[in-house]
Amino acid sequence: MKAKIGIYVCECGPNIGETIDIPRVLETIPALEGYEDVELVPKSFGLLCSPAGKEYLAKEITDNGFTHLVVAACSPRDHNSTFIGVCKEAGLNPYLYKIINIREHCGWIIHDKEAATDKAIQYIRSGISRVLYQSELFERQLEITPDVLVIGGGIAGMEAALSLASHDRKVYLAEKTGELGGKAARFASLLPRQGRGADVIREKIKAVEENEHIRVHLNTELESSIGFLGNFEVVLAGNGDDEKTDLKVGAIIIATGYRMSDPGSFTGYEYADTDEVYSSLEIERMNGGEGIALRSGAKPASVALIHCVGRQEKGYCSRICCNYMMKIAGYFKKQSGATKVTEFFFDMCLPHKADQEFFDHSVGLGIDFKRVKEIGLSGTSVEFAETGGGKQKMDFDMVVLASAMEPSEDTEALAGLLEIDLDERGFFKEAHQTTDPVATSIDGIFVVGASQGPRGVSDSMLLAQATAGRIRCQLKPGGKIVPEVKVSEIMEAYCTGCRTCLEVCGYGAIYFDDQKGISIVNEAVCRGCGNCFGSCPSGALRTKHFTNKQLYREVTEALK
Amino acid sequence: MSHHESVVVVGAGLAGMKASLMLAHAGKKVHLVETLPIIGGATIKNEESFPNLECSTCLVAPIQQEVLQSPDIETMTLSAVEKIEGDKGNFTVTVRKAARYVKIADCIGCGMCYEPCPVSVANEWEENLGERKAIYVPCAGSLPNVPAVDKEHCLKLSGKQECNACVEACMFGAVDLDDKDETVNIEAGAVIVATGSGMFDASSLPNLGYGKFPGVYTPFEFERLFASNGPTLGEITIRDTGKVPAKIAIIHCVGRKEQGYCSGVCCMYSFKFAHFLKKKLPEASVYNLHSDICVPDKSYQKFFDGVKGTHTEMLYNSSMEDLKVSSNGAGLKVVYLDEAGAEREIDVDMVILSVAMVPDEGALGLAEALGIERDARGFFKVLDEGIVSVESSREGIFIAGTAEGPKDSQSSVIQAEAAVGQVLAFLESCRPEAAEALAEDLKA
Ligand SMILES: Cc1cc2nc3c(=O)[nH]c(=O)nc-3n(C[C@H](O)[C@H](O)[C@H](O)COP(=O)(O)OP(=O)(O)OC[C@H]3O[C@@H](n4cnc5c(N)ncnc54)[C@H](O)[C@@H]3O)c2cc1C
Ligand SMILES: Cc1cc2nc3c(=O)[nH]c(=O)nc-3n(C[C@H](O)[C@H](O)[C@H](O)COP(=O)(O)OP(=O)(O)OC[C@H]3O[C@@H](n4cnc5c(N)ncnc54)[C@H](O)[C@@H]3O)c2cc1C
Ligand code: SF4
Ligand code: SF4
Ligand code: SF4
Ligand code: SF4
Repeated sequence: MKAKIGIYVCECGPNIGETIDIPRVLETIPALEGYEDVELVPKSFGLLCSPAGKEYLAKEITDNGFTHLVVAACSPRDHNSTFIGVCKEAGLNPYLYKIINIREHCGWIIHDKEAATDKAIQYIRSGISRVLYQSELFERQLEITPDVLVIGGGIAGMEAALSLASHDRKVYLAEKTGELGGKAARFASLLPRQGRGADVIREKIKAVEENEHIRVHLNTELESSIGFLGNFEVVLAGNGDDEKTDLKVGAIIIATGYRMSDPGSFTGYEYADTDEVYSSLEIERMNGGEGIALRSGAKPASVALIHCVGRQEKGYCSRICCNYMMKIAGYFKKQSGATKVTEFFFDMCLPHKADQEFFDHSVGLGIDFKRVKEIGLSGTSVEFAETGGGKQKMDFDMVVLASAMEPSEDTEALAGLLEIDLDERGFFKEAHQTTDPVATSIDGIFVVGASQGPRGVSDSMLLAQATAGRIRCQLKPGGKIVPEVKVSEIMEAYCTGCRTCLEVCGYGAIYFDDQKGISIVNEAVCRGCGNCFGSCPSGALRTKHFTNKQLYREVTEALK
Repeated sequence: MSHHESVVVVGAGLAGMKASLMLAHAGKKVHLVETLPIIGGATIKNEESFPNLECSTCLVAPIQQEVLQSPDIETMTLSAVEKIEGDKGNFTVTVRKAARYVKIADCIGCGMCYEPCPVSVANEWEENLGERKAIYVPCAGSLPNVPAVDKEHCLKLSGKQECNACVEACMFGAVDLDDKDETVNIEAGAVIVATGSGMFDASSLPNLGYGKFPGVYTPFEFERLFASNGPTLGEITIRDTGKVPAKIAIIHCVGRKEQGYCSGVCCMYSFKFAHFLKKKLPEASVYNLHSDICVPDKSYQKFFDGVKGTHTEMLYNSSMEDLKVSSNGAGLKVVYLDEAGAEREIDVDMVILSVAMVPDEGALGLAEALGIERDARGFFKVLDEGIVSVESSREGIFIAGTAEGPKDSQSSVIQAEAAVGQVLAFLESCRPEAAEALAEDLKA
């Protein structure tokens, strides 16, 4: 069948109407060289995006039986979606249409009308030649499973599970250790603003255990995972036995938390493992038990609490330690009001609206806050200089260190297994730090809690709830997903198996078929970014709607 | 029990827009209510956003476009919530839509109507640093790219004098000076409040000289001064004098003590300003007068380390009460107490006051209209502030973004996503099937 292309020039009032010689455009197009086999039908209209314009265009498409459509108008940012809608309504596959921007690119920036018209014609010609090489593409709908796997049973993982589990969505919760709750389960109390104290954590554990839609797998880790949003196949493995569980889930939530960094590796804390120097986490555990005592069993009469241990070396502030150190100071004061408690801090990090009140309260408890510019430790003796003061030394019975929170031990391995990125600090990396903070580079894999970065309990839970929001929107029980249409494909015959494309794909969409010795694109995962297309040395890759031929035609015609 | 599946989102900043898009993706009908003629919120006032110094427009414009083009989101600009009636899952929200006097469907945003308008007034969106006409968009790149007529200043609408200049200038017949305000009732199952925050009034601290000396700026004034689509097209010059500043002091923690909290973002935007200044004025001397440095996100310390020393000299200011900005004849003098409590003095041309984020001035009225509570500081109260909650004091109404308390963009988005999760769960719980299932459970 002979191609018949409708070419519609929008006047856009004076914007195109007066800046471009539309009659000349309409005259020139049918006579374009090289299109003798094609029927070109150019027309103009006042305002194509108006309701009347859309109706007109739809009718024109149907009445004329166009095989392709070119609209020469404004920026695709403004109205590409408008005309895609018109095509769909008129029964023309929208991938056989192209918008050409002759307003911003020609009329608005070239003040000589003739020159603007020449450029517009060139653009339209380039559009015509491209559209001829475009092919129909079709959306696909994929079945999904709404069920979710959560890795890590700390407060973040538990909150994610509780926010999602329901009669039509099962949640599997894999926890590496033998119990739920993570670090916070051992805390005697939380911050004062966190009201009900550590009971909150215990209540959550109970709620998870009692929820019939959550299946908890203790002593369990992730062994493997393949698939994509809506359709992951994962295998869980018991870490004490050989038990394996195969699951199908629609999304995976990582909630593997943090660990405390080793203070011994930071300048000034080389001897931090001496007898009466403790990590903050150790104090939390002691406080939950017999009370906080020295190794001799006696209660300390003086305690130094040191903030920001390793902050400079690690290159980040851990956000929650200023707050929890004040809480720990309170433990000592509660144990005995006579305990001399000194907090050495650099900056007081109080980013939540209620934090300042806690600080003021802590000052009221008689805790001595010292702002320092440098600090070092030998045994339990603290050498420091206050801001605006000289070097001093003070001796204490006990020293407590707030060393930086760092990613938990399995982070790297897990990132490798799931093919997601870590940031430069080793935490899981967000899809976009500002606008997409709980997603990762792979659709369907999310990160919550302290595994995304140092956070307190409240923020960890909020991330979990945010992820629940994302998953509820993307994976509705009984719903389907529509993957990207403009995806890449690899032509088997040309692929030499060099694996270059595997390296460049940031979405884990390409896998290697060992039997055939070639790379294959998983079309359900591919986002059509085109990275691989440019990288393939054998020309085996093709990105639909951006094929070599389409781009070549578009560019050469534009440059003619 | 009847219920509605649609949602009203109040405030079209980053939080409100993100929430609306997510709800639309989840198949809900969204009514997005915004008081201004444009959407985008505070972020679009900034040319670049910390921590990655990405172009803010590039971050936000795709989101704005998607909101405006979504068939499931009804964006209501120049609109405000008047009252809410009914119960959870079954609200009737009354929204007052002020007349725009320009038909959105007919206007193509060509801007031909501005020039002929004889009225010029201060542009409040530009922090009054520039002027606009009575028919206007707040700045280039506004979305929707459709002007509005300010009826208070328009000659014709204010009854001052006959004028038809904009009507005649528009080739599309889009200007409609007979447009009327409208009141609409929206049936909704739930409401998300994402109305953002306000800024501490710097003029309430007379020792800082704001409003007295032209060289003293608020953060948003400086953001607009730096912005290439701003009133000076991005040229950093001091108002009135037009002088290019050679020395600039950025003063942290203004209003922290008065408000009783740290806003958690001012250190970061103050460092961003140091970066901005050095970028445009490489020869300038920049001083950050700070107390505690608050860089709580994992990437913020790196940003701070990247400007400290190289872009700005960090000066410790030990007492906000003792800091004084005065005139030294040619420019400004900042007197402050250093870390040892000793008095210090620096001469500068420009002072930027990094003020606290405070409840939006409309928060009280909105709280009353919606029947929700505010916390002691005036931000919208959430049920369990201590642990985590996006639920307001009234069932079915949720809070997100800086309307709940000061926070950065990332945290605002996280809260919006969490609010959507809660809204969807809430709407599900309102369904009759859910009530039946619950009754069954109770029987068993
Ligand atoms: C001393 C101290 C005091 C604190 N006090 C407070 C406070 O008062 N208030 C507050 O808000 N915050 C406080 N925090 C911060 C708080 O501990 C964290 O915010 C919180 O624990 C983060 O929860 P999470 O679930 O992300 O991580 P975690 O608590 O670390 O839990 C992670 C879970 O994942 C499991 N896991 C790890 N790897 C794997 C794997 N590969 N497979 C399966 N499971 C795995 C772990 O076993 C663990 O159960 C304090 C921190 C410290 C150090
Ligand atoms: C000077 C400054 C610079 C900043 N720079 C950065 C940065 O570089 N990076 C970063 O991450 N964060 C930055 N922030 C923080 C960031 O601006 C906020 O976190 C973010 O804008 C909050 O988004 P939001 O949607 O909650 O509120 P907003 O963006 O404030 O949006 C609220 C919207 O609601 C509308 N509204 C208000 N009241 C009503 C009402 N009653 N009815 C209807 N609509 C209403 C407003 O007009 C507005 O459009 C900065 C903050 C300041 C003050
Ligand atoms: S939260 Fe406080 S103690 Fe922890 S790194 Fe930040 S400033 Fe230092
Ligand atoms: S187009 Fe992008 S997402 Fe798709 S396979 Fe290639 S690199 Fe991966
Ligand atoms: S009202 Fe008319 S003249 Fe003004 S911007 Fe819109 S289309 Fe152009
Ligand atoms: S009618 Fe009003 S808005 Fe229009 S040009 Fe005249 S004064 Fe300006």
